[in-house]
Amino acid sequence: MFPRLNPLTTLTAAVAVLVMTTAAASWAVSLTVAVGAVLLSAAGGTLRRVLVASAAIIVPFWLSLLVIHGLFFPEGRTVLASWGPARVTAEGLSFALEMGLRTAAFVLVLMVFSFSVRVPELVAALTARRVPPQVGYVLASTLLLAPLVAARLEKVRQAQESRGLVVGRGIGSRAAAIRLQMVPLVLGLVHDAGIRAQALDARGFRSAGPRTSYTEARDSAAQAAFRLVAILLALAAVGWRIVESLSAGSLAALSLSGGGPG
Amino acid sequence: MIADRTGATTLLASVASFSYHGDAGPALLGVEMAAAPGTLTAVLGGSGSGKSTLGRLLGAWVLGGRDGTLAGSLQLDVAGVPASSRPLAFTGATDDPRIDPGAWARHVGYVPQDAASMLSAVRETVEEELAFSLENRGVPRAEMVRTVAGIARRTGLGGLLHRDPATLSGGELRRLAVGCAVVDGPGVLVLDEPLESLDQAGVRTVMELVHAELALGTAIVVLSQYADALTRAAERWLVLKDGEVTAAGPPGQILQGHALAESGVVITSPEPDAEPEPEPAAESGLPMPAPPAALPLPVVEARAGTAAALELANVAFGFGRLPGSVPSEDSMLLQDVNLQVMPGEVLAVTGPNGAGKSTLLRLLNGLHRPLRGDVRVAGESIAAVPTGLVARRLGLLFQHSHDQLFERTALREVLFGLDRLFAVGAPERARAALAAVGLEASENAHPHELPASGQRLLALATVLARDPSVLALDEPTVALDAHGLERLTAAVSAAAGRGAAVVLVTHDIGFAKAHAHRLLRLDGGRLLPH
Repeated sequence: MFPRLNPLTTLTAAVAVLVMTTAAASWAVSLTVAVGAVLLSAAGGTLRRVLVASAAIIVPFWLSLLVIHGLFFPEGRTVLASWGPARVTAEGLSFALEMGLRTAAFVLVLMVFSFSVRVPELVAALTARRVPPQVGYVLASTLLLAPLVAARLEKVRQAQESRGLVVGRGIGSRAAAIRLQMVPLVLGLVHDAGIRAQALDARGFRSAGPRTSYTEARDSAAQAAFRLVAILLALAAVGWRIVESLSAGSLAALSLSGGGPG
Repeated sequence: MIADRTGATTLLASVASFSYHGDAGPALLGVEMAAAPGTLTAVLGGSGSGKSTLGRLLGAWVLGGRDGTLAGSLQLDVAGVPASSRPLAFTGATDDPRIDPGAWARHVGYVPQDAASMLSAVRETVEEELAFSLENRGVPRAEMVRTVAGIARRTGLGGLLHRDPATLSGGELRRLAVGCAVVDGPGVLVLDEPLESLDQAGVRTVMELVHAELALGTAIVVLSQYADALTRAAERWLVLKDGEVTAAGPPGQILQGHALAESGVVITSPEPDAEPEPEPAAESGLPMPAPPAALPLPVVEARAGTAAALELANVAFGFGRLPGSVPSEDSMLLQDVNLQVMPGEVLAVTGPNGAGKSTLLRLLNGLHRPLRGDVRVAGESIAAVPTGLVARRLGLLFQHSHDQLFERTALREVLFGLDRLFAVGAPERARAALAAVGLEASENAHPHELPASGQRLLALATVLARDPSVLALDEPTVALDAHGLERLTAAVSAAAGRGAAVVLVTHDIGFAKAHAHRLLRLDGGRLLPH
């Protein structure tokens, strides 16, 4: 269902939802957005990949939130349990829950976007808006970097295992393996990039003139209108948040959750 | 002017000398060559002869000034463009002319030895990849669509336009790389080892493409270490050794002399199909004749009674549609594979690109795990044994050296993991393995700086140093020149001589017949007698 939309439309929608979620600063809104993102990815057929990639980011983050805010939350008043300096407070837990849900919503929305967008279409849409091609290339190669790095890392691992490297289940063994793989990974990527630069040169990538795009970015008046509305809604949400924070006289709330209006 | 060229183009190159920055000696010295419209010129030479450097200079992938010091001249003569015929003279000084690689590529298309490095890596379909340089030139979309369709017809990519370039086979990828190079309608085409690692079908399509381009009036330069069907079709040969021309002239004349052998050029059959269908009579001349085979395949008689060094029992394997999923029965890549390889036996497995030959070898050390059946190395099942432990007994040579080499120097590369196997004497073993493949002088070289043949031999040295009881070699002949092939042959017979089992998969039937005791063919997921 996504491919029929202009990638800028999905990008605008994703950013607007994230801005509004931040502005709302409510666990219920964050939860709704996260569930919505999961449903969208299920409808788009990317559920498994979205969940795996999101979990890789969210789970360690949640754990750190739980340790930092669940156990050590200076503003916490309602103490549920305590071990020496560590105090589990209701306020700390609820803060960890709220931040955790908001992060989950962020990561899920971005993952749904990046797994649904066709990168060449996004670049084409940007080219059509006179965004410099170098920016488009950097964006495209960034979005495509993760699979590239993963593939390269897999090759290094296979080469090393085929020569006797045994990666055990323990954390120490894994850390040692990672240390062995990082230098070859980076050197390999740099080497590939050098070759790639020669190919890009030969294929006219550095030429200064105007560009065209083979991929057609589909667009419509309705999508343009939708993007405008989404941007206005996001701005309105930010404005509302600022006004509310100021009226509450709490600058801390502004810096904590309102985000910059830019 | 896109699909059809502006006119006949001639490229004249006169390289008095070229040395890469940081290198002690020149990579090329006194090389003169001309590529004329509608002619095929072959630059032949063994590993390290300088032919790839020459190709990159011709295609402006390597530039005098930026990449090295060039003395000499390049002259591009495009019919109908009077200003083009002025030679660009280089002296190695800072005021040398500067070539814009993008503008140059519109007249001289260069396809590197590794076709994948031609790709932009940010396009998701073949057609988008083909259109990349047209986009960069601002060609209107309607014209681009026409050009891409025309190029797809010319290169036989019509049925693949919507495929992801990362999923193409070797032959398809080579055609895509050529397509990317000719999309701007260059009058000169420079192809570095265009037939490397292609199966028969791939060889045929690339040869057809070359002849079609010649018919269109393109000047073609092929760089190769093989005097094969393609290069034998050239009007003129240029033989390089250590960066210098040792012979030049028509093929017939040069084949009489010694220049090819001295440079390390591999001389193969003049027939385009270098893989004739085997006849039963042809097998009788093998050193250790295989008895008529019925599955499960019989062992070599001379070694009967001893235990198999490697055994596969009813092995089945396939890739699921999604990573981690189980493939359906009809999408199995390998089915009911039964195999025994005895100590001291050399077994060759052939088959078309994509038949699963590399997958078969990866099952042997556990990089892939069979869905059914069992793999036994030296009598012990490797199920649940980590690859790192299987590697004590089985050495795998990867299909692409690029995937196997990861260290900073050749010596460190061979030493990796060696101390785990041999508590004492690992450095001596590593040096001995380097010497066995002729790389004793390159132990401090960066693996990526070695020529393709050197990289292959270094990868082989990493396998040999470990003294495995089973050697699994994936396309070991690819990228090797004649000298490299001699080293490989010696290493294979030495390993078999000390009782190791050797399994090699190759598309080089000639090599397989000459050096294996037994030949099998992998086709339709099954191992069949050849």
